[in-house]
Amino acid sequence: MVLILRNMTKSNLIYLGIAALLLFLPMIITGSTKFMITQIFVFAIFAMSYDLLLGYTGIISFGHAMFFGIGAYSTAIFMDHFDSSLIALFIAILVAVLFAALVSFIVGMLTLRLKTHFYAMLTLAFAGLFLVAAEKMRWLTRGNDGFTIKAPEILRDSTTIYIISLISLVLIFFGLRRLTNSPFGRVLVAIRENEHRTESLGYNVLHYKVLVTVISGVVASLAGVLYILSLRFVNTGVFGTDLTIDVLLMTIIGGVGTLVGPIIGAALIELAHDWISGLANVHWIFERWLILYGIVYILMVIFFPLGIVGTIREKFSGRKKSKNNAKQKAS
Amino acid sequence: MDLIASLTINGLATGMLIFLLAAGLTLIFGLMSVLNFAHGGLFIWGAYTGVWIYSMSESFFLAIITAIITGLVLGLITERLIIRPVYGNHIQQILITLGFMIVLQELIKVVFGPDIKAVNAPAWLAGNFQVGEITLIKYRLFIIAVGLLVFFTIYLILKKTRIGLIVRAGVMNREMVQTLGINIRFVFMAVFMVGAALAALSGILHAPYSGSIYAEMGLEFSILAFIVVVIGGMGSFTGSLFAALLVGLAQAYMAYYFPALSLAVNMLIMVVVLVFRPQGLFKVKG
Repeated sequence: MVLILRNMTKSNLIYLGIAALLLFLPMIITGSTKFMITQIFVFAIFAMSYDLLLGYTGIISFGHAMFFGIGAYSTAIFMDHFDSSLIALFIAILVAVLFAALVSFIVGMLTLRLKTHFYAMLTLAFAGLFLVAAEKMRWLTRGNDGFTIKAPEILRDSTTIYIISLISLVLIFFGLRRLTNSPFGRVLVAIRENEHRTESLGYNVLHYKVLVTVISGVVASLAGVLYILSLRFVNTGVFGTDLTIDVLLMTIIGGVGTLVGPIIGAALIELAHDWISGLANVHWIFERWLILYGIVYILMVIFFPLGIVGTIREKFSGRKKSKNNAKQKAS
Repeated sequence: MDLIASLTINGLATGMLIFLLAAGLTLIFGLMSVLNFAHGGLFIWGAYTGVWIYSMSESFFLAIITAIITGLVLGLITERLIIRPVYGNHIQQILITLGFMIVLQELIKVVFGPDIKAVNAPAWLAGNFQVGEITLIKYRLFIIAVGLLVFFTIYLILKKTRIGLIVRAGVMNREMVQTLGINIRFVFMAVFMVGAALAALSGILHAPYSGSIYAEMGLEFSILAFIVVVIGGMGSFTGSLFAALLVGLAQAYMAYYFPALSLAVNMLIMVVVLVFRPQGLFKVKG
């Protein structure tokens, strides 16, 4: 305990404080808001898993939705075909994690020794394959219509799901933070900055890259599991390109390589979804919200590649530096 | 016999359409290491603008010309506004072209409406030839003919002209070509526009072939083109033709015998190539 407290930095305390405040939020908010915040937690986990690839290692995946979908469908199918008990859920999570790990391992082994483009292309193709498979295997997935599921008895209350999602988010956040601050995480950043140099220093780059895609895939599948538990409905949308675009946007808007950024990005995108779907009655252009997202996304990539958190951090550290310079000059 | 001939023709026609899409992708990649994820967007824009003119003028020839012009213009816009600001940064490039793909796809829905549109082949290409007991559908033969024409034209340009020489040299070693005082960016812009025009041509040819067009088909079809680019070798023009025909044939035969596996079999070919020849079947020497 003392050790944990000693390791607590100021920022960690702030994050824990916010989490503690969020823990008491369900007392004052209504059902729909509670559901929306739960969704934000779920997508924040999903976006953080993406940040691990894009932000820390410089790997681009255009099929990250497939891991989310694997988690979602494993849970839904187990809940649907077997009894909706906690044991079935536990097995479902186990299956989701193993399957996601296997898929990301295979895709990673195939393409990560090649240029960045290959991983992006292959994940796009694999996600397409999963989408087609989910639409064709109607006996298992009931196609695009989807189906509703019964969650285990004790997980049906919306407050319970809210708290479970929050705790998962906090645990995964600190877990990934620990991971990215570890020597392993430093090697990932080194790969992002200069892959050849990292290799020359004696690191087996492929080994690190495959491992990080597996971790990312597993975390994304856990987000999928939580998504289904909170929504209790699944359809092929969980494999869709829209979802990959969403997660890309969350990560890029929030700030790549920051972990906090994707959480903020997830909140912004989910709120924007909510706001824009409300505007659909005002003008039909809002039904085509993806266009707005696409434009925002392109502008972000050109003008603010660091995202919100990244840009703020850069400004902040820049000011510090210039102050230091000024001091040095004065003395 | 009839069945095999029909499936083969079908496969070759699909292959040619994929080839038109993949040819641009592979040359653009070879020259500047830019992988254009918005290529499928150019494909649907070709299809929609072509079909629009086709429905108004009743002339399929005019539709093809329209599609090609759309492709050239959109190619110029894409290169100038989307790709040029992020030259030299692979991650940004890949991210931004996918974003543009989404914008192009959604713009189609805004401009032409979100519904699926039915398209029929023009009268002079409808119907079929009867050779013995084999039925040959005219429109499919037409696609194969156009595909071959495009292939040989570009092949000859690449092999016999000065601009072709520059492009081939650029694919092998960009820096060296620049050192020799050639404005490679200008060459790249030209190649990008031609690639975009080919994608748009593929789109308008695909419209009567599949009988209907919809906005999402760009992304679906471009996945096949990516598979082809990987199999054929990134940067290899000839490779993209062979790989496209291979993928087209595999697609046609599997769609008939095991419809559920048609995408999976192409993925499988790609996986096998990636394991045993990650540089693709036709590697660019240099």
